[in-house]
Amino acid sequence: MGSLMLSVDAVSFLEKEGFPVLTSFLAAGEDEAAVRAGEIGFPVTLKLSSPDVVHKTEAGGIRVSLRDAAEVRQAFREMVGAFTSDNPEKRLDGVMVQQQGSGTEVIVGMLTDPQFGPVLMCGLGGIFVEAVKDVSFRLIPIEPRDAREMLEELKGYDMLKSPRSGSIDIAAVEEFLLGISTFLEHHPEVREMDLNPLFVSSRGVRICDARIKTD
Amino acid sequence: MMVEKLGRLFSPGSVAVIGASNSFDKLGYHVMKSLVGNYRGRIFPVNPKGEKVWGLLSYASLEEIPGGVDLAVIAVPAGMVAGTLHACGRKGVSGVVLITAGFKEIEDPGGASLEEEIRDIAGKYGLPIIGPNTFGFVNLSSDVNASFTSEFSRMEKGGVALVSQSGGICHLCGFLAIEQRVAMSKLMSLGNRCNVDFPDLLTYLMDEDDSTRVIALYIEGLDEPRKLLDAARSARGRKPIIALKAGKSEKGDSASRFHTGSLAGNQAIWKGAFRQAGILEVVTAEELLDTAKAIDSCPLPQGSRVAVLSGQAGPGMIASDALEPCGLSLSRFSEKTQRRINELLPPIAIRTNPVDMGPAWYNPGNIIEILRAVLDDEGTDGVIFLAMYASANLKLAEGMVEYMEAVDPFKKPVIACFTAPPGIWDGPIGELDRKKGIAILPTPERAAKAMANLWKVRAMANGKEVRIWDR
Repeated sequence: MGSLMLSVDAVSFLEKEGFPVLTSFLAAGEDEAAVRAGEIGFPVTLKLSSPDVVHKTEAGGIRVSLRDAAEVRQAFREMVGAFTSDNPEKRLDGVMVQQQGSGTEVIVGMLTDPQFGPVLMCGLGGIFVEAVKDVSFRLIPIEPRDAREMLEELKGYDMLKSPRSGSIDIAAVEEFLLGISTFLEHHPEVREMDLNPLFVSSRGVRICDARIKTD
Repeated sequence: MMVEKLGRLFSPGSVAVIGASNSFDKLGYHVMKSLVGNYRGRIFPVNPKGEKVWGLLSYASLEEIPGGVDLAVIAVPAGMVAGTLHACGRKGVSGVVLITAGFKEIEDPGGASLEEEIRDIAGKYGLPIIGPNTFGFVNLSSDVNASFTSEFSRMEKGGVALVSQSGGICHLCGFLAIEQRVAMSKLMSLGNRCNVDFPDLLTYLMDEDDSTRVIALYIEGLDEPRKLLDAARSARGRKPIIALKAGKSEKGDSASRFHTGSLAGNQAIWKGAFRQAGILEVVTAEELLDTAKAIDSCPLPQGSRVAVLSGQAGPGMIASDALEPCGLSLSRFSEKTQRRINELLPPIAIRTNPVDMGPAWYNPGNIIEILRAVLDDEGTDGVIFLAMYASANLKLAEGMVEYMEAVDPFKKPVIACFTAPPGIWDGPIGELDRKKGIAILPTPERAAKAMANLWKVRAMANGKEVRIWDR
């Protein structure tokens, strides 16, 4: 039976593998959350970490732009309180305290298809993933040309290429896709993975959240 | 080894038909009919009764045939196939077409185990088998119709190879090819793909078969699609490959707790995998044939800017409308080109792109000169060329044929649509089609689609501008 790696665990694991991530900690209580937020530097984001929640936004599980320790404490109490009373049957690992990300949201994912084996996906992330399903697929491993075409194929490519606010380092996203492909080639135990969202800006790529299922 | 044997299988010096028959309700009858009709090598009917079959001396068994047999076409009941394959192996046959059905494709699990058995026998003798459960193959380049449908011999000889997972699709496409003058090199169904599969055929058609210029695939489902994709990828940019994939599901795994898993429908993965392998995916049988014909007949365009020249305004308008959705655009003529068009056309119609050539109906030479002027324009990458018959322009098509005789082959693609009542322009249309860079298709919209696909094939080979057509 496989295991599932979530939020802070998954993000830390990817950081150790050499991928750029937003600094993240898992906090069990509001005191710890406030201390960690101070270490990271404000503003920060809080996210519920539960193996039973896929769509954090819909579950009210994300609070952004928290500017000081008091806001962090209040957000912590509200989120955990609402989650436990609304979902008594669901598990809660804690709350992720994270450096605030910025840029365009992108999703990169992987699945193991019964016929094709390991398949890589990328697309516009955040709320767009479900709504417009603007994603492209390639079989792993990919070449530089595939990384470029995976992005070019997206309907939102022009938005990615020239967003209203600031430019995006497209080359960094291509490098990132190639890096993930190589990583997955060397880790056949990974069966399924969501890196969602990644923040992409002129400063490059940062992994904000991740789920990884292994054998 | 495999590729060498496939070469002899597809261009045999002699063919044995095991199960050859004089009885219309036996497939062995129809295989004989196909071979007797056009094959120039030796034909050996094998039939236990030993009577003459289709007027040819028959043999009670393979062993009795004097000399070698390159190809054995087997159309005996499933239960007799194993023994027949042993006989083929002992005889030193190069390859087998196994028409017999009743193997892996049937519900009864006995079929699958029978297929295992024949695969083992074939492996022992190194026998390549097309099938089982196939209608056979037609190799136009060598005048071999080793199938149970003799009418496939009516297809014109050319550069399109269709390799299919379905015999029915070969019958659909083969007869459409006859009707629409698609010129074929090979037509085959791989059936259950006992030991000859898509990757083997791709390698053979790429490396060994000079007559094939474009490879068209019809795929239903593959256990190991990566083998085909890897073979295509390693041959990328050599001969264009186009594919029609049936049975695609849009749905991802709804039980997946991952965004990726729930978004990954089979169709989306195939799309990415085809692109990665350099295979152009098409969505209908019609598009498969149109695209194959255009690739076989026309030079590939350098870009996506298209001129529309039409004998009547309306068809030109709908061709123009069809360009943008498939990634093409209307070209702008240079001053020089426009001056030349204005010399050739009186100012009583629209002379900018799309050009209404109506005023030149009675002057086929001028129409061809307009076409040449536009093809010479650096801002135009290809031309859609349309003319509808009317009683008054009866002589137009013949006039174009005459005028074209002295014209050099075009260096850019011209996809044409000449529509007339059956029988009226058939002769001249046949003269113009697939010559000097012209491909003729049935409708303006299909012409536009095929032009777009020519450009996509080009873009995929050189890896540029791929993104433009997909969004």
